[in-house]
Amino acid sequence: MTVFLCKNGFDGILCGVYDIYASRLPLSDCSLELEREYEPLLFAQYQEVPLEAWKAKKVAEKIKSFMSEESYIYLYRASLHKSPERGNWIFKFIALGLTAGRKVLGMLQNPAVYEIFQMNRYVGNEAHFLVEFLRFERLKSGIYYGKVGPESQVLELVAVHFADRFPDMDWMIYDEKHKAAAFHASTGHWVIRENVEKEAVEKWKGEGNSDVYVNMWKTFFHTIAIEERTNPRCQRTMLPLRYRKYMTEFQ
Amino acid sequence: MLLQENMGLEEKLKILADAAKYDVACTSSGVDRKGKKGYTGNTISGGICHSFGADGRCISLLKILMTNWCIYDCKYCVNRCSNDVIRTAFTPDEICELTMEFYKRNYIEGLFLSSGVVESADKTMELLYEAIWKLRNIHKFRGYIHVKAIPGADRQLIERVGFLADRMSINLELPTADSLKKLCPGKTREKILLPMRQIQAGITENRNELAIYRSAPRFVPAGQSTQMIVGATPENDYQMVSVAEALYRNYNLKRVFYSAFVPVVPDKSLPAVSGGPPLLREHRLYQADWLLRFYGFRADELLSAERPNFNIFLDPKCDWAVRHLEEFPVEVMTADYGKLLRVPGLGVRSAKRIVMARRTGRLSYGDLKKFGVVLKRAVFFLTCCGKMMIPVRMEENFITSQLMGEERKKVWDMGNENSFRQLSLFEDWKPDAVPEVTDAKKALFGEM
Repeated sequence: MTVFLCKNGFDGILCGVYDIYASRLPLSDCSLELEREYEPLLFAQYQEVPLEAWKAKKVAEKIKSFMSEESYIYLYRASLHKSPERGNWIFKFIALGLTAGRKVLGMLQNPAVYEIFQMNRYVGNEAHFLVEFLRFERLKSGIYYGKVGPESQVLELVAVHFADRFPDMDWMIYDEKHKAAAFHASTGHWVIRENVEKEAVEKWKGEGNSDVYVNMWKTFFHTIAIEERTNPRCQRTMLPLRYRKYMTEFQ
Repeated sequence: MLLQENMGLEEKLKILADAAKYDVACTSSGVDRKGKKGYTGNTISGGICHSFGADGRCISLLKILMTNWCIYDCKYCVNRCSNDVIRTAFTPDEICELTMEFYKRNYIEGLFLSSGVVESADKTMELLYEAIWKLRNIHKFRGYIHVKAIPGADRQLIERVGFLADRMSINLELPTADSLKKLCPGKTREKILLPMRQIQAGITENRNELAIYRSAPRFVPAGQSTQMIVGATPENDYQMVSVAEALYRNYNLKRVFYSAFVPVVPDKSLPAVSGGPPLLREHRLYQADWLLRFYGFRADELLSAERPNFNIFLDPKCDWAVRHLEEFPVEVMTADYGKLLRVPGLGVRSAKRIVMARRTGRLSYGDLKKFGVVLKRAVFFLTCCGKMMIPVRMEENFITSQLMGEERKKVWDMGNENSFRQLSLFEDWKPDAVPEVTDAKKALFGEM
């Protein structure tokens, strides 16, 4: 067994796939793990995969032309999932896709396709949850600031949505779990920065932002529920508890 | 009545949100609109819920009345003119302010504006128009707007509002004209159906126009919806479902909402509701509504004049299936999509996944489970590659009793939220089957 250790991120995984094929080893003897998250095996050879943009690009082109654009999007979103095995599943999906071609996405009975399908769905759902439940607060400086803590690295998917929604606003979204932040300027430009420490954000944000609309929203939220229909279980299903600590109305 | 206008914004919001909460519709779906530089907001066709209240209902739009002042005296309504509540009103600017500030904090997806009737229907409609005109043109708002059409308002006013709003709705309130006459003096069915017809015609006309001029202004792009109260009048489920079906077919409605009757103001013409609002009945109606819209069922397949109400213990689809066992079992690998949809435990998504996946190879029961098929219900009605998962007697009573055990618990939960129940050693959540004579004999001779 040869284990290829690739860099984190989608491009890293695609480079790993390229190197596996370039090594000419039988595919069943290869697996792909993420450099930072793998569990070492006793009887395996390890081979590191450096990040090289042209390799990733070549694999991406192959996926798009041989399978479909949709498969590419599925794989990209699966790479944002938290599972440590995502690299290996992506490799298996691509290996299958290179024989099955365009119909690969429909082969849901195949474990590789099903896993990718599920990861894609999970990531998509989580991004949608954040689009729903993210709350901005207005800072004194006029910047709108929102904090999230998702399991998957969905900051980019979420930021795309808000960039379209609020093109004229200064806003920032901070992902405290992955220590990443999206900054959007009122000019319409936005960036994502990695390794943003929590303390730095707190310091920059400052204390004591009083906002009259926070209380109004809480009033509205509590008023709109019909007392005779109280149903906490339904509420919990629709709005999982882990999102509530970031939401204005539950603070 | 006295209109109190000099009140704080928060107090007004409390009163006017409280007055609006019995309106069910809170969807922000049906229209895709990209954001634009210089404007605020976009919409997404799937809709976005932003929160869920303590009653588990989604909060997607800022649902408020413009005013709770009303000249009508509909018996079931909190805002009826004979009810003694504080009356107040938002100015159009206040509505805009709240919507924009809430929207920018991502609290809401847009505005749901309704109103009591002040002076006349036309006057009210004009005020609603002013509010959303300002929102669209001064505040450059591109988010979702849902506006109530006031029955009896002028045609031109409704048309002008329709070009600014995404969705419009007129509540039918009660399924038959008789009940409407009894509970809503001052409203007639014609008055409600007329604007509904007008909006439908407007949408059709607009669609034709859009086919030629792509950039023509859009008229009520997310369609119209309506709402009926469940349990305030003696109509049965069959009447309700038939009305809903007629509305979908003849008026091209996007949604019909059902609202379990909550007694807010006592009145001699209203029924006394013991044990809370009829939530189970409302739930069954929604299940049937989905069957009408997405599963290709007709109202007269689900119910009939002889069986006018839904089964308490079985959902409408299971109920239909056990009465039509001649159509089952269905073979997963070969049955067409429409047939699959009629199998209990299969939904639109799982049926689509099956159709997609079976093109490339055989399926197993394990695969079906992964696709989201609820095997607990589906096993009785499916074969997979010619085999049933467990031996099943294709007999109505047997299958019904198997299905009921599971459903019974859910039904009980719905009526008795947060309470407890004595655990029983025998027959827990199973139907009480009466032992037959042969069973008694077997027990007597020690065979059992």
